[in-house]
Amino acid sequence: MSELSPADFYLPGEIIRNLKSKDREVIIGPGLCRNESDTKSLIASQAGYLCFRAPNTYWLEGRRNRYIPKKADLVLGIVTKKSSDNLKVDIGSAESASLSMLAFEGATKKVKPDVNVGDVIYAKVINAHKEMEPELVCIDQYYKAGKLGVLSNEGFVINLKQKLIQQMLNPENPLLRTLGRKFPYEIVIGVNGKVWMRANQCKDVLTLCRAFQIAEYQKETDIIGICRQFK
Amino acid sequence: MSSIRKTIITNCEKNFLIKNLSEWTRLDGRAFNEFRNVEIEFGKDWGCCKVSLGKTMVISQVSCELQQPKSSRPNEGVLNINLELNPMAEPSFEAGRQSDLSSQLNRLLEKCIKDSKAVDLESLCVKVNEKAWAFRVDINVLNHEGNILDCASIAALSSLAHFRRPDVTCDGEEYKIHNVKQRDPIPTVIHHYPVCITYAIVKEGEYILADPTLLEEGVAEAFLTIGLNAYKELCGLHLGGNAHLTTKAILETSNKAAKRAVDLVQLIKEAVEIDTNERLTMKSLGFHNTLDKQISDVHVDELGKYLDHWTMDKIKRNPKKNQKVTTPMEETESTEEESEEDKSMDVSQEKVESITNLGDGTAKLDISTAQHEWITIESDEESEKEDDVIIVEPKVETLSIDSNSEEEQVLVLNPVQRSAAKKKKKKKKKNIIS
Repeated sequence: MSELSPADFYLPGEIIRNLKSKDREVIIGPGLCRNESDTKSLIASQAGYLCFRAPNTYWLEGRRNRYIPKKADLVLGIVTKKSSDNLKVDIGSAESASLSMLAFEGATKKVKPDVNVGDVIYAKVINAHKEMEPELVCIDQYYKAGKLGVLSNEGFVINLKQKLIQQMLNPENPLLRTLGRKFPYEIVIGVNGKVWMRANQCKDVLTLCRAFQIAEYQKETDIIGICRQFK
Repeated sequence: MSSIRKTIITNCEKNFLIKNLSEWTRLDGRAFNEFRNVEIEFGKDWGCCKVSLGKTMVISQVSCELQQPKSSRPNEGVLNINLELNPMAEPSFEAGRQSDLSSQLNRLLEKCIKDSKAVDLESLCVKVNEKAWAFRVDINVLNHEGNILDCASIAALSSLAHFRRPDVTCDGEEYKIHNVKQRDPIPTVIHHYPVCITYAIVKEGEYILADPTLLEEGVAEAFLTIGLNAYKELCGLHLGGNAHLTTKAILETSNKAAKRAVDLVQLIKEAVEIDTNERLTMKSLGFHNTLDKQISDVHVDELGKYLDHWTMDKIKRNPKKNQKVTTPMEETESTEEESEEDKSMDVSQEKVESITNLGDGTAKLDISTAQHEWITIESDEESEKEDDVIIVEPKVETLSIDSNSEEEQVLVLNPVQRSAAKKKKKKKKKNIIS
């Protein structure tokens, strides 16, 4: 990825011109939207640096905490309210998401999953519309749970910046592997910035927390460079 | 404070915190009676200051106006303290609505600062029954990361100490408020600096945590807030929530708080003095100075920590490599496998190292030293107290010759004339006697 320069910084509403593209096609990622009046340019919808990946992908990268739900995102949520057939889950968005009790593997009207207020849930966003509350499920299209569902109460949850989350989800990023060489741990990363982790000892979890909290403020290249020193 | 929190704390966070506490660790690596860093910065105006306690941040501004004094107290000015919670501090706070939390915080601040008569209100009177200054301290919470009250009380005191009111003259009927350029503004008289110090009580008084963070506040069952000034006089005590606390625990924590209060008051005084001196040298002042500094500070600091965390291994490995260079060249190639093994050995050693190294930020080491400190402090405190007690004792004895029960009555009656702090001490003395 190219270095970030101040010239690439955009504020919401700014128009982005001079796009390099192959075959006149551009793929836009988070933080960008189409400019209807001038189809050759884009409009920034959040503050951040413009990033480009060959051949034609553009996105904006900023330090944001707020999560905006998107369909098919895998998120971590906290159950805030429980009623007979519905759960309210806080996924860090403006409105809390709803999760049906029937959206768990093997759940029927009579057999309900054991979920309590305060539990952490790993779920998939199935419906995300601007004017509606986001909807979650804990099953895939074959009605199997896979890795989704209620997470154990042994672990710990922290909030991280979206930027670091994206970096960690990249399988080429060495941060998690380097930490894994020190001690075994389990980690669940939600795209919404919440991260659940569990290790054998409390101090290992604390080490993870601190490493992530520091890495939040570092450049990706720095992180990779430092991780490389321990290979 | 516990019941008001709307954002739910997950069960796993709760479990993890309590598990850590049982290992005598706090999540941010502090000891149980360790406080977060306090930073005081002053703005361009008189009486404008920003205080940060860890990541909790509060901004405070003192303003004044001339008005008719209250008819009940015609020769005194008025002091109002107003704390506001914005959604900026935490999304669950509502703007413009008095929540239980905000009214509780306001009341505690008033109790600590206003009711202990920290500010000399009589000096604020311009003319009896006609005109007096009304001070208003506006406190806004910028970021809520636990323990707003301590932060707000520091902010209120430092902005009051920093504030200067314009001079006013009266010729017959008309009052004239002089411009700052015409006449030097007048500082406020502050008798003493009562700061609030909050402790969170977790698991029915098993763990008492100083300066709780947001997560600790959520898990805590009760909060013990102690208002103290630099002379270790008690200016307010509030125990909110439901926890079974022994009187001994309360007394112990208030002893610990007393030491903190002395430090805090000194910090406030120093910060105000430095700023007023800088103002005399006509430096450009204001938050814009600290803004640049802070941003760069965060980066350097953060990176340093990061390197510290990771380069423990690096520093250790380098000497090894050097050693290998010094050994004959023949061996170096043949020992490649060995070196790898060495490295793996290194890792295992490093594990231990890192744990201990992390430990000095966190774990048992700190606590054990802290406990020692506590014990020594207590012993100091007790010796002081005994001095106090010795002064009081003859009085009690002379007054109550008849029986023990009367002695108790006298003990309770006596303190009315004395300060509240001594009341405490006497009660403790009673305990010692019994």
